[in-house]
Amino acid sequence: MRYSKSLLALLYLPICLIAAQDPHQQLVELAKAGNGVIKLDSKTFDLLTSPKRTWEFEPSWNAVGEAWATVPKEHRDNHFFATLDFDNGQTTFQKLGLQSAPVVYVYPAAQGPLVPASGKVSPLKYDFSNGFDAGPLAESLSKHTPIPIPYRDPINWARYFTIATGVLGLLVTLRFISPIIQSRWTWALVTVAVSLVMTSGYMFTRIRGSPFIGNDGNWVAAGFQNQFGQEVSVVAGIYGLLTMSFLMLVMVVPYQTSPARQRLQIYLWSGVFVIVYSVLVSLFRVKNRGAS
Amino acid sequence: MPTAYPLPTNLSPATVANTASLIRIVALALISGAAIASRLFAVINFESIIHEFDPWFNYRATRVLASKGFYEFWNWFDPTAWYPLGRVVGGTLYPGLMATSGVIYNLLHAINLPVDIRNICVLLAPGFSALTAWATYMFTKEMKDASAGLLAAAFIGIVPGYISRSVAGSYDNEAIAIFLLMITFYCWIKALKQGSALFGTVAAVFYFYMVAAWGGYAFITNMIPLHALVLILMGRFSSRLYVAYSSWYAIGTLASMQVPFVGFQPVKTSEHMAALGVFGLLQIVAFAQLVRSHVSSHQFQKLLATGVISIGILGAMAFVLLTYKGWIAPWTGRFYSLWDTGYAKKYIPIIASVSEHQPTAWPSFFMDLQFLVFLFPAGVILCFRELRDEHLFVIIYAVVASYFAGVMVRLMLTLTPVVCVASAVALSTLLDTFVDPTEPEVVDDTRSESGASTISAPGTNGAAPSPTTPATTSKKAKKAAAAAAEHPTTLSDILASSSTKTAKPKGIYGLDTRIMVVLNTICMLAFFVSHCTWVTSSAYSSPSVVLASSNPDGSQHIIDDFREAYYWLRQNTPEDAVVMSWWDYGYQIAGMADRPTLVDNNTWNNTHIATVGKAMSSSEEVAYPILRKHDVSYILVIFGGLIGYSGDDINKFLWMVRIAQGVWPDEVQEPSFFTPQGEYKVDDNASPAMRNSLMYKMSYYRFVDLFGGAQAMDRVRQQQVPKVGPTLDYLDEAFTSENWIVRIYEVKKEDSLGRDLKSANAFAQGKKRKRSKPTTRRRAIL
Amino acid sequence: MVYLRSLLFLIAGFATGLNAKSSTGDSVLVIVEPKQQDNYSLFLNGLKKQGYDLTFRAPKAEAPVVIEYDDPTFAHVILLASENKVFAKDITPQSLVELLGKKTNLIIALSPKQTPLSSLAAEFSLTLPPPGTPLISYFPKREGPPSVIPVSVPATHSILSENLHPVWFSGVPHSLGNNPLLVPILRAPAESFAAETDGGSPDALVDAAERGGEGLWAGSQLGLVTGFQTLDGSRVTWVGGAAIFSDEYATKEVSKGVPSGNLQFARDVAKWTFQESNVLRIDRTTHNLVNSTKSLEQYTTNDQIVYSAYISKYDSKTSTWAPYSGIKDLQLEFTMLDPHIRTALLPVPGVPGKYSAAFRAPDRHGVFKFLINYKRKGLTSLQSSTTVAVVPPRHDGYPRFLSAAWPYYTGAISTSVAFFLFSAMWLAGDSHEKRAKGHKAE
Repeated sequence: MRYSKSLLALLYLPICLIAAQDPHQQLVELAKAGNGVIKLDSKTFDLLTSPKRTWEFEPSWNAVGEAWATVPKEHRDNHFFATLDFDNGQTTFQKLGLQSAPVVYVYPAAQGPLVPASGKVSPLKYDFSNGFDAGPLAESLSKHTPIPIPYRDPINWARYFTIATGVLGLLVTLRFISPIIQSRWTWALVTVAVSLVMTSGYMFTRIRGSPFIGNDGNWVAAGFQNQFGQEVSVVAGIYGLLTMSFLMLVMVVPYQTSPARQRLQIYLWSGVFVIVYSVLVSLFRVKNRGAS
Repeated sequence: MPTAYPLPTNLSPATVANTASLIRIVALALISGAAIASRLFAVINFESIIHEFDPWFNYRATRVLASKGFYEFWNWFDPTAWYPLGRVVGGTLYPGLMATSGVIYNLLHAINLPVDIRNICVLLAPGFSALTAWATYMFTKEMKDASAGLLAAAFIGIVPGYISRSVAGSYDNEAIAIFLLMITFYCWIKALKQGSALFGTVAAVFYFYMVAAWGGYAFITNMIPLHALVLILMGRFSSRLYVAYSSWYAIGTLASMQVPFVGFQPVKTSEHMAALGVFGLLQIVAFAQLVRSHVSSHQFQKLLATGVISIGILGAMAFVLLTYKGWIAPWTGRFYSLWDTGYAKKYIPIIASVSEHQPTAWPSFFMDLQFLVFLFPAGVILCFRELRDEHLFVIIYAVVASYFAGVMVRLMLTLTPVVCVASAVALSTLLDTFVDPTEPEVVDDTRSESGASTISAPGTNGAAPSPTTPATTSKKAKKAAAAAAEHPTTLSDILASSSTKTAKPKGIYGLDTRIMVVLNTICMLAFFVSHCTWVTSSAYSSPSVVLASSNPDGSQHIIDDFREAYYWLRQNTPEDAVVMSWWDYGYQIAGMADRPTLVDNNTWNNTHIATVGKAMSSSEEVAYPILRKHDVSYILVIFGGLIGYSGDDINKFLWMVRIAQGVWPDEVQEPSFFTPQGEYKVDDNASPAMRNSLMYKMSYYRFVDLFGGAQAMDRVRQQQVPKVGPTLDYLDEAFTSENWIVRIYEVKKEDSLGRDLKSANAFAQGKKRKRSKPTTRRRAIL
Repeated sequence: MVYLRSLLFLIAGFATGLNAKSSTGDSVLVIVEPKQQDNYSLFLNGLKKQGYDLTFRAPKAEAPVVIEYDDPTFAHVILLASENKVFAKDITPQSLVELLGKKTNLIIALSPKQTPLSSLAAEFSLTLPPPGTPLISYFPKREGPPSVIPVSVPATHSILSENLHPVWFSGVPHSLGNNPLLVPILRAPAESFAAETDGGSPDALVDAAERGGEGLWAGSQLGLVTGFQTLDGSRVTWVGGAAIFSDEYATKEVSKGVPSGNLQFARDVAKWTFQESNVLRIDRTTHNLVNSTKSLEQYTTNDQIVYSAYISKYDSKTSTWAPYSGIKDLQLEFTMLDPHIRTALLPVPGVPGKYSAAFRAPDRHGVFKFLINYKRKGLTSLQSSTTVAVVPPRHDGYPRFLSAAWPYYTGAISTSVAFFLFSAMWLAGDSHEKRAKGHKAE
């Protein structure tokens, strides 16, 4: 019986692991490897400085490979996980035209009973758009194996422990802080904070994964339908200030017993209101060029 | 009591009340007028036309309803949609909108006003916006008072967040849904306040209308139970709550199940379980109250503890079991994606691909709500100050809706009403405080000139009209105040009564501060109005069927490519010619070109959409069998590269690829459409998969010729298109609109000689055929 | 003497079939060198006698053109000028294919020389041997050159008359591709092969054989006369050599006392090509519910549907269409993307030409097509597609009362009754309670 062999090859860099360490130690190790002189060729340099560095990938890959090792032998021996270090296989890297790592190629069986139904035997490249976690990787690789890879996320004991302690701690402190929790003003504060943060586009930055500030150091993102993380805090702050000065006018000022103090406060808060509002409008005009 | 400015004294309380109500009525009428008028920009700037995409379907359905009657509409099977699957329209839509238009249409025709159904559809949304203003007025009146109500009505009348979905021609479910939302909430609050089964029933009736009109009814379905739940948790259970909720839930749920599209969902899906659970909880709590009134408190404590805990555990277990067994459907993807925001992109790219399902950046909030966006937290705080049952509703609504609006641009619509209400409460409190002529007594002795300058006698009631004299003694004022306390009928008494609740003296001293704050407020309001008008006229009134641009001299230039192309289809193709396009244009093709389409904006069948995505993203040879199998005669693509129309198909192309990849991961792969550097390019660096894809070829076919040898430039992508344009073997260019926005291709028939069309085409162009290897019939015997 | 008599006999035979005409038109253009025109007189005169309207044109003559203002000028074209390398500019491979698309039928003769027509043959999945390699056979032993071969005709063939005598052939063979539209009419004898004669290069043939495989240009898989019916229904016949139509071969004896079958063969080929024989059509199709005659636009799921097709066959003797019930393997498909139902469409006894099938509509709504797609070699392909919608039952089309719903009915009724009783008792018990209260107070 002739099993066709399908090869799953992972090509990743040893430099990856080094890069995770601090730059100093990285230099030390490189220097040691080169007898005191750091040798960089153009390729190593490109790879070292590639913007797609994702050095945390290796543990995921190993986890999936280990999961595969647990399947029954007759299936296990049909698929192989392999890795290729850049140092050991520069020619292969060149042959495949790889500019960055890690890269996962799936080589389906080209002969025998395991040839995929579509008949495509050319290697498939794994798409990292779902991130570098082991779960999605196992899921997508399972499409190419006769039985799914029995990968399960390891139980995150630390997280459960944290949650349990948190709950317990909360229950204990609840007794002491219950006057605070039962105060309507606590809730009011929470409510308003949530509303302000939400209306400042917090969910936008969460969902789109916007950076806190732009690459060029600009904290205001170009474009009307776009924003950076810092805009959330700034805009929420502006809103909060405006809301607060308004509330001052409505809730605090009328209870002042001294007319002079009251007048001062009214002018003060009105002034704050007008100025901050102007700042907000000019910020909006930065975002929306054609604004009125 | 001193006042900051003189008040008329010779007014009877009846006059005051009558004038106030007259002013209210006039103000409401003017607000309605303003609400309607500002939505007519679209008609004035362009024409009376149905806008965008979904409204075209609604319009088409309404025409069927108007011409064939309700039963035919109910049983309408549309064979031209989702060809060849067809669509059972009657059972897969919310008929409220069409039924409303149908009723109005028949009513007008019954009184011999032969109004065109199109005009009813176009003007339905503005008309209902006036009703929304009224409903918001009523709702806010329950929260604070009539003046806050008027402010709220004015806000909702012109706020862009609502106008964006309700301009004339925007004939969508939301057009009537916001009115129904507000009126249902109003009835609920009313029922809760009064413990009235009648108002609960009215709320249920409007809830039914809402269910029939908009899928967003789930918002009400969860808002009201949430409110009830919070009330119970706060220990505010009352028989009023019990009556209101039970009557609303029982009648509302039964009624909502009569809508064919909803059917048994209210008892089967997770979205509706909260309402059911709270209903059950209310019964338990009510029962517990009943028992408490009959047994001693010690026994009761035990009974209550065991009872509530055991029932709670049983209920939760039952729910888990039912969900596990599949009797209760889990959250639908759309609903689920509101919580797990990464869910849609990963598992249902169709939903994630819709632009109105994108998260909202802060400029959108500010654009749609302007100064209301920071005023409404103040209103929420003010609600906390009093914290009546109905104020809790506003608070919950504000938090929930601001989260939803942050997750999806589209849900800005549900946030807008509560923002208007809360802002109106805040602003009217401000105005109450600063317009109130009453001046508090100055506690310290250094009484300023305010006392001397106080002119009017606040307490001059109708019974004792006294001429207003410049010098009124405080004694007289005191006396009058005492009289006013007995008969709180005059203007100032009404004003004063609001400030009597607090023990502390409250009020504003002086006139200048009043004038300053009021002027400031008026300026803000004026700015708000101008902002709303500008946003409405410039951003939200475009029909998106017709585009407008400016000529160098400033005059308006209308780009009418869509209708040009659709009418070309209508007049030049056989009636049963199937048109394939990306799903965005399905409803428009059905509505304007009247041709069967493969997919349309009702995105329920992922596989069918993925089929179109696959055809668009594959090479001609792969796509052709798909096209033939689906009887496609024409393919329509939108191309903006010539005039810079950014909403074109090349920009949407990655979604087609992604959706196709979801179904055929082996055949379509997203990374292959990027350059090795990971860029999305259409120029010389474009990847082979990109350049061979049907979409690319159809978009750029003969595009280079247009530049007559000069470098062709795609003005949307700002990239230079390859010098040698793509060639087409399986398609013929049939029509290209004036500005090249719409390009229509005809799918060639199979070659009559049985060749593949590529070689047939090569032969027709006189190219030498490569001598094909003849098939051998004899095989070597080994 | 014998052959003269047989010739007379044949002519008499033709006379009986006089005025037998094509179903698509009578105008025929014959493209032939004027000086060779007389070589084919028996064949051409036969056509003329039959009622065809022949027009002759030299290959290089400019008129009459075959396509004028996008309209074909003739219903049929015979291209006997097989050796010409240059034709008038309106006769190109492309224009000939265009003619086929416009329902014109063609008879095209090939020759061992490389001409524009030999490149056209490739478009029809016919592969010709290298130039200058005609068919050669040394069997049976006979006088004359080895390239003039008697070929026996299949005894039963849907196109040819029965029991034809062998026909003389000289020309080039072709190998047939796997195009299903090809209709092989005459195959080469098993012991024949294509080989270079004078002017041909043996190397070319060896090359070709090596590329195509051993024994490619030999044996009975080679075609000599091959028909081709396009998807549009027009027919074209490729003939390896024009000589098969010639007077010389028509009158040449195959063996002692046995006349050649050439003339009748030519006649049969023309008859098929010019849409006289094997021509079918679907007159109309109907569909309706069982026990009803009204044709509906849309059906409900699970309806019983009857579909009928009326098929006629062309009778060239009378130039009329007659109902035809002879098809035994007709099928009907009820298709939405894929066939949901595929059933035999059987002739209805007693009603000539009517084929009918009844079936239950699938339990699936959508836009369905009644499809007939009957393609048999040599016969006109029958195609019909009728679109209907299959819709779910109307709102009042469902059963009103379900016995399975008894629990719900019971529930509803019992709740109603209980509510009624409760109200009644509440109202009736009111005074009692008051009295009780009063009693308590006392």
